[in-house]
Amino acid sequence: MKRYELIVIGAGPAGLSAAIEGAKAGMRVAVFDENARPGGQLFKQIHKFFGSKEHKAKIRGFRIGEMLLKEAEEAGVNVQLNATVLGIFPEKRITVRFADHVEQFSGDNIIVATGAAENMVLFDGWTRPGVIGAGAAQTLMNLHGVQPGRNILMVGSGNVGLVVSYQLLQAGCKVAALIDAAPRVGGYGVHAAKVARYGVPFYMRHTILRAEGKDQVEGAVIAEVDDKFQPIPGTEKHLDVDTICLAVGLSPMSQVLRMSGCEIDDTPGGLVPKTDAYGETTIPGLFAAGDVAGIEEASSAMIGGRIAGLAAAHRAGYLDDAAFEAQAETARASLTQLRQGMFARENRGRTDLTETEEGYALSQNLLARGYVTEEELKAFPAASEKRGGVHPVIECTQNIPCNPCQDACKFGCIMVGRQITSIPQIDHEKKCTGCGMCVASCSGQAIFLVDDDYDETRAAITMAYEFLPYPEKGQKGTALSRAGQPVCEAEVLSLRRSAATDGTALLTIAVPKEFSMQARAFAFDGGVD
Amino acid sequence: MDKLMDRSADIGPFVPLPDDDMIVCRCEEITKGEIRRAVHDGFRSLTEIKRVLRNGMGLCQGQTCSRLVRSIVARELGVKPADLPMTTARAPARPVEMQVYAKEVR
Amino acid sequence: MTVTDKAEVVIIGSGVIGNAAAYYMAKRGASVIVLEGSEIIGNGGSSRNGGGVRQSARDPRELPLVMYAVENLWPGLSDELGMDVEYCKKGNLRLGKGEAHRKILQGLCDRSTAQGLDVRMLDGDEVREINPYLSDEVTCASWCPTDGHANPLRTTLAYYRAARQLGVRFYTRELATGLIMDKGRLRYVKTACGDLFEGDTILVAAGYSSRALLHTVGIDIPMNKGLLEAIVTEAEPPMFEQMLGTAPADFYGHQTPHGSFVFGGHTGMEPYFGEYAGDGLNPSQAISAPTAARAILNFFPRLKNTKLVRTWAGSMDECADKVPVMDRPAEVPGLAVACGFTGHGFGIAPAAGLLLSELVLDGRASTLSLGAFRYDRFARPAD
Repeated sequence: MKRYELIVIGAGPAGLSAAIEGAKAGMRVAVFDENARPGGQLFKQIHKFFGSKEHKAKIRGFRIGEMLLKEAEEAGVNVQLNATVLGIFPEKRITVRFADHVEQFSGDNIIVATGAAENMVLFDGWTRPGVIGAGAAQTLMNLHGVQPGRNILMVGSGNVGLVVSYQLLQAGCKVAALIDAAPRVGGYGVHAAKVARYGVPFYMRHTILRAEGKDQVEGAVIAEVDDKFQPIPGTEKHLDVDTICLAVGLSPMSQVLRMSGCEIDDTPGGLVPKTDAYGETTIPGLFAAGDVAGIEEASSAMIGGRIAGLAAAHRAGYLDDAAFEAQAETARASLTQLRQGMFARENRGRTDLTETEEGYALSQNLLARGYVTEEELKAFPAASEKRGGVHPVIECTQNIPCNPCQDACKFGCIMVGRQITSIPQIDHEKKCTGCGMCVASCSGQAIFLVDDDYDETRAAITMAYEFLPYPEKGQKGTALSRAGQPVCEAEVLSLRRSAATDGTALLTIAVPKEFSMQARAFAFDGGVD
Repeated sequence: MDKLMDRSADIGPFVPLPDDDMIVCRCEEITKGEIRRAVHDGFRSLTEIKRVLRNGMGLCQGQTCSRLVRSIVARELGVKPADLPMTTARAPARPVEMQVYAKEVR
Repeated sequence: MTVTDKAEVVIIGSGVIGNAAAYYMAKRGASVIVLEGSEIIGNGGSSRNGGGVRQSARDPRELPLVMYAVENLWPGLSDELGMDVEYCKKGNLRLGKGEAHRKILQGLCDRSTAQGLDVRMLDGDEVREINPYLSDEVTCASWCPTDGHANPLRTTLAYYRAARQLGVRFYTRELATGLIMDKGRLRYVKTACGDLFEGDTILVAAGYSSRALLHTVGIDIPMNKGLLEAIVTEAEPPMFEQMLGTAPADFYGHQTPHGSFVFGGHTGMEPYFGEYAGDGLNPSQAISAPTAARAILNFFPRLKNTKLVRTWAGSMDECADKVPVMDRPAEVPGLAVACGFTGHGFGIAPAAGLLLSELVLDGRASTLSLGAFRYDRFARPAD
């Protein structure tokens, strides 16, 4: 039987990272992935990742995928595609299905990085064509260039629901509503704000009652729920949609681990293997990394994969204790950075947080409707301080792990500090040149440049703009508020794209001065689609 | 002793619900009402319900419905979903044609 | 010590044997408790077997039991228990290719015929008249038209359901760890979680686990723990209704009413895997599904594109002489034993349950003799 020192199951962010570390240490590595393309979900991610530089923050997911594949190739990792692992058997043997045959392998070490699958939710008509997972919608749009529908109801306000809603808008679909049975938006506030400012209404404490239609979805009925998540009669609301997109959580795809016989923990987040700090399960040499070990962001999955790869290399004798401990420690410190703040695992589902670590009152409107009110922003100095000339306005109001804005400003205007979940502060002593690098670097699109002195009557506002067709200088349109409501007429002053801004388009519009703290999005008359 | 252990412990009568005809397991077309009825027939583990009804025995092997079934059964029994152990996972993780399985390289 | 619950009979093990015995006892008005160690009713071999209700090639000692069951119990079982057990009495074909196989099959045939079973040899064309999907390489088969199959999962649970409706108290997660004597008579069962159950008779029907449990009262039934593995396919349109087996015994199985095929296979490694695999896990061997698939396609090329959706494994209580023990050891008053069914207990389960109810409630089985299944038959007679 063919034996490898390391077998990695799954070529997503965790699996590739694990394989890279194993191969770099000198192990003979095989990676099996059931898909036709490597990268897992990375190539569907067209948004920018969070974190700091070492986590590849402010880089779009598919670019990270390309970087990871290049690194894997350089490390000599061989990824076998269309190779489905059917099971893990005693003595760390696996059966792999190829096109027309199966093959048995054994691994001194096996790292399972099979990722996660989307959860479903039951409602009348949930099996009707037109009800799809948010991940499926992403695949259609971002891999195949196909619109999942014209008019969409998004169910779920976690990061997946928010990010995919935004991508649906980018793809030219209309998002009729974003609903969640929870009382508060589950994902990052900055993701919610991106969706809200293009007019998507948020209905928190709402559930879907039914999908209407005969052979396919022709509408949806939603209703408000009480504290026990039961629909309140009389609150039903019909939505004219042709597609219902479900983003109601992910479950670890831990089947092969479950059949291996390692100990499994039954957690609220799904069935995950019991592991030590390096991802090793109760079967020596069998590891788990990434979403299959517990749902997190891809950035965390990559580090988890590296740690498991290092541990496997250590176990196989390719890394001595000192080298292993040093490298694992660095990786763990990096992981710890990502796991802090309001969205840390231990804070999941908490509803009692009322202020940020800095003591700023959290925006309740953001949690209920997806955007921060102007009044609430006053608690945040970086978002509300008005002054003459061009300067950044940072509408970042939650403790999320992210600091590219700090690195982006060459003049030291923006400070996050050592704790990357801290809310950015502005040093007004430092001169802002209006270069826009902070705007382009912000993964949450929460930074705007405001110049109240653009001319006699108008202020200039610079924002990231990710919709096609791009506006051209001189064109007129409408400035939208944080809630997506028309605020005033806006004139396009410029649209900048350059390698320095990673191709991100920076749109500068002029609006009457009195609207400079209200205008936060731009639409051609008639909206973004 | 709890009602999962003591199979004679009362769990109340079966009360029909308006959404009982909703399909929960799409592969085998098993409805919510069938699952709830099975609980009242005395089947109080997910494995027994699966063996009686075939939910989770289809092409996807419960990938989609197992969590949904668990919450329905838990509610019917008045226990927490986590009190009900999931059914076993077994190879193959994906369906495989017999001739492919038969062509084996060791 | 306080007693958690007591009844006339306490049965240890909620497999098809324990549940059937409980049902027939309750039907006669006895009060019965059934203790199950896992959280699942029917967690052992009862839910992990091929579902054959087979008389042909049956050990002569068991043949009267299965013939009685096929004649009197299986046909009305679904109606009696109020739940479809999917019993299908459409015959058993044991297939062979070539002369060596024919000889094996002829030997099995002759043995059963001598005991009055209708089983005969067919040539290849006759076989394909019964089952047109079989390979042209099939040259012979034994044919027993009164054999068949049923759904073991549903049968085990149907007996449970019916027994429960008759008032039998079932307790799961009550793993029996010891049998306790009281003034010269077995009376109590203690369990892992500290509960105590009391019965006038205690019937041990816990598969291989019976062995360790019986050790607590000084009885040993010589058994090994063997592995039994099977595969299940996706549903196909109805093709045939017979139970199938082969002369080389490399696979057996049938198509269920649902349309899926359930086939058992053999890698030859099973005797060495059951013990090694340990309790609770029942892992499959990596080579099992490929081995079974090859054996099946050899006889059944039509299924080459049928998808295999699941494999499963279970352990069986393999008795030293391959037939079970069903007895009341006189040396331990109050004890009754039913174990060692060796992987072919399913087909005889209704008869075994009925006879055990007689053995326990009346002191002896009256419908048929259980004389061949004594607990003390293993030791050589004293000089």
